[in-house]
Amino acid sequence: MKAFLKSKEMSVAVIILLLCIILAFISPVFLTADNLLDVVKGNAVLGILAIGMTLVIITGGIDVSVAAVTSAVCVVLGKTMMFLPDSPLTIVLIFVIAPLFGVLLGSINGILVAKIQIPAIVVTLGMMSIINGLVLYITNGQYLNSSNFPTVFLKFSNFSVFGISIIIWLFIITAALTWYILKYTLIGREVMAIGGNKESAVRVGINYSKVQIFVFSYMGFLAGIAAIAQTSYTKAVDPNGMLGLELMVIAAVVLGGANIMGGRGTIFGTILGVLLLGIIQNGLILAKIDTFWQKVFTGAIILIAVSYDHIQYKRSQKQLSKIEVEA
Amino acid sequence: MSEYLLQMLNISKTFPGVKALDDVKLEVKKGEVHALIGENGAGKSTLIKILAGVYQPDPGAQFFFEGKEAKIRRPIDATMRGISIIYQDLSLFPNLSVAENIYIGRDSDKHSWKKVDWALMEKTAKKALKELDFEIDVSTPVEKLSIAQQQMVEIARALAFDAKLIVMDEPTSSLSAGEVEKLYEVIFSLKKRGISIIFVSHKLKELFTVSDRFTVLRDGKYVGTYHANELTEEKLITLMVGRKILYEKNKEKAASGKTLLEVRNLAKEGNFKDISFELREGEVLGITGLVGSGRTELAQAIFGINRPYKGDIIINGQKTVIKSSEEAVKKGIAYIPESRKTQGLILRQSIINNISLPVLKKLKNKFLLINRRKEIELAEHYIQSLDVRPPLPYRAAGDLSGGNQQKVVIGKWLSTNPKILIIDEPTNGIDIGAKSEIHKLLRGLAANGMGIIVISSELPEVLAVSDRIIVMRHGRIAGELGIHEATQESIMNLALLGQKGKIREEAQL
Repeated sequence: MKAFLKSKEMSVAVIILLLCIILAFISPVFLTADNLLDVVKGNAVLGILAIGMTLVIITGGIDVSVAAVTSAVCVVLGKTMMFLPDSPLTIVLIFVIAPLFGVLLGSINGILVAKIQIPAIVVTLGMMSIINGLVLYITNGQYLNSSNFPTVFLKFSNFSVFGISIIIWLFIITAALTWYILKYTLIGREVMAIGGNKESAVRVGINYSKVQIFVFSYMGFLAGIAAIAQTSYTKAVDPNGMLGLELMVIAAVVLGGANIMGGRGTIFGTILGVLLLGIIQNGLILAKIDTFWQKVFTGAIILIAVSYDHIQYKRSQKQLSKIEVEA
Repeated sequence: MSEYLLQMLNISKTFPGVKALDDVKLEVKKGEVHALIGENGAGKSTLIKILAGVYQPDPGAQFFFEGKEAKIRRPIDATMRGISIIYQDLSLFPNLSVAENIYIGRDSDKHSWKKVDWALMEKTAKKALKELDFEIDVSTPVEKLSIAQQQMVEIARALAFDAKLIVMDEPTSSLSAGEVEKLYEVIFSLKKRGISIIFVSHKLKELFTVSDRFTVLRDGKYVGTYHANELTEEKLITLMVGRKILYEKNKEKAASGKTLLEVRNLAKEGNFKDISFELREGEVLGITGLVGSGRTELAQAIFGINRPYKGDIIINGQKTVIKSSEEAVKKGIAYIPESRKTQGLILRQSIINNISLPVLKKLKNKFLLINRRKEIELAEHYIQSLDVRPPLPYRAAGDLSGGNQQKVVIGKWLSTNPKILIIDEPTNGIDIGAKSEIHKLLRGLAANGMGIIVISSELPEVLAVSDRIIVMRHGRIAGELGIHEATQESIMNLALLGQKGKIREEAQL
């Protein structure tokens, strides 16, 4: 418990709490269940992607193609749904097609990173550009409207359990599943181990490239889930709608206490990071502050958080690498 | 079954250009503590890495473990057979708990989706720790532990893998005296249980405390294996050093010019203490000692990149505080670091660009652009005067041989017109012919009035270039030797034992 109080997650939680108190004073609307649920719903896609990105970042990698991959899956969903019947089977099919397509794209990233050993940022930048270009080619940059979607999908979109939207449930289930994988499966522990000390991991017989392919494929899998959430949320497919989202995703993970160099990161922290970004955005809207300030705020918070983190790290490093001087 | 747990015979290892091990053998009995000893670069680490499966030996090597021929192709093969290596820098996962660190690597790679049994993991870890009599909460992340505690975790990991042989590479290098005692106890209890230990260390006292037998390596060759009771510290040193006649000892008499640099009571917490010496014009001062004795840290402090320190640095009679490498260069100090490839050169760029780098500001023309003609002239000047081969200024530095690369680095720093040149391991990874060329070059620079500090672990090299030799040990100056009184034995004696002992030059083998 004491360790938890000192953890990075705790400091993010405190910031969120303070922010909530301030916002409650600024706007009476803020602290209502409806508004808070809206914040979560509006950031569910960001959240699902950030969960996947957490794994990538723990291994010391990065994936800047997430938004592009998600867009691509959205377009595929939008296109196929025009041909799908208005039956519950459609929903099942969607949950097969979207993750599969996501995994396909993600595994290409993973294989290039692991087998040809190209730095992840280069691979995923290339992938991002290719996908963005293809998406525009296929859609001509135009919206795919909900008028073409089967009604069963629209029903699914508005579905809620215990008063909580299905979109939020997707986020919750994703988080729970990923937490379980990270904590209780061998591959999850290997993800943590590689981030902690790559050389030692190889010394104890962990297959480094397998783990890399796994994290990028899993990222693709979650991009597929995120695409379903996104299409449900907007009830349309906007080929340009997610440009630049990858930066927010990475920001959320880093804010949540993950180390961009790898080795550290938790699902809980990432959820807090997502909530923090969502609340800042919501608060600025409620406080009627121009939305471009949101970017300034977000950026400033990230820089402060990461600087603080790095200063702590440098301090701890100073303790190491000493020569024993005889008294 | 033979009396040996481990037999490594005919072990050779060739790296491009270097024969690191030449027909070495290592035989370890069951339940013994076996010391592996040799100077820096004698081949201890290479041998350990072959045992660990990190390197593959050259063909012809024979490897027996528990009386059977064993093939170790990957690190995991060694672990599975019961060979655990505890590296000096440890192989732990700082972000994972003690229990996970002890347990990791047991599950086969094929069971990615297997559920991790945290209860079993903790049980295994607790059991291993209990065998060591070491109490710690197994859920603590390893990064929160002291080095000594981390080492215990590594030993516990070895026990959890049913290790029959544990290799400890410089295990006491970052332990306090009390922690070392505790480690001895652990070693003795492991021994009682029939576990064999290979102990690699430079500290002779502790080797004699724990070891039953010694295997000595020198220059990648097998010298011999001895029982502890046939050896004394002095004899061991003689065995390690041998009698190498690689280069002639320096016989020139140094010009006793005025004092360029004086260091008074320099100290830096955790690096070095009580350092005082001076450097004169036209003199080469050798600084030696074991790796980790604080030599490089001292050099970097003088160059202004290892701060803050206590004490005074006096240059040309003036007390000076140097805050950055830029300032040091302005004061006429040049520092050539040990790692030529990562710190000294930009390998992909031309010789010209490398040499002109520190003086680019001086090569500006009136439009603030770099005067390319002057730059080329500068490079050609040093290519000629230092005899860089091939003498092609546009060649990428990375295409040159090690010796010529080092000449380019030296040229690069000479372009700043230093009065004081500090050079760290000047001939690291350079073949012998080129080494003596570099030595001559350094002597020549000194003859022209420069003051040079050569930091080196290679004793023949120190003897070949220096006028005076300072030996460091544990961050302090263990002693200073004039070139006429210095021998490899007297230096080693200071570096290892710290007192000016008398050692017979002739070894009684």
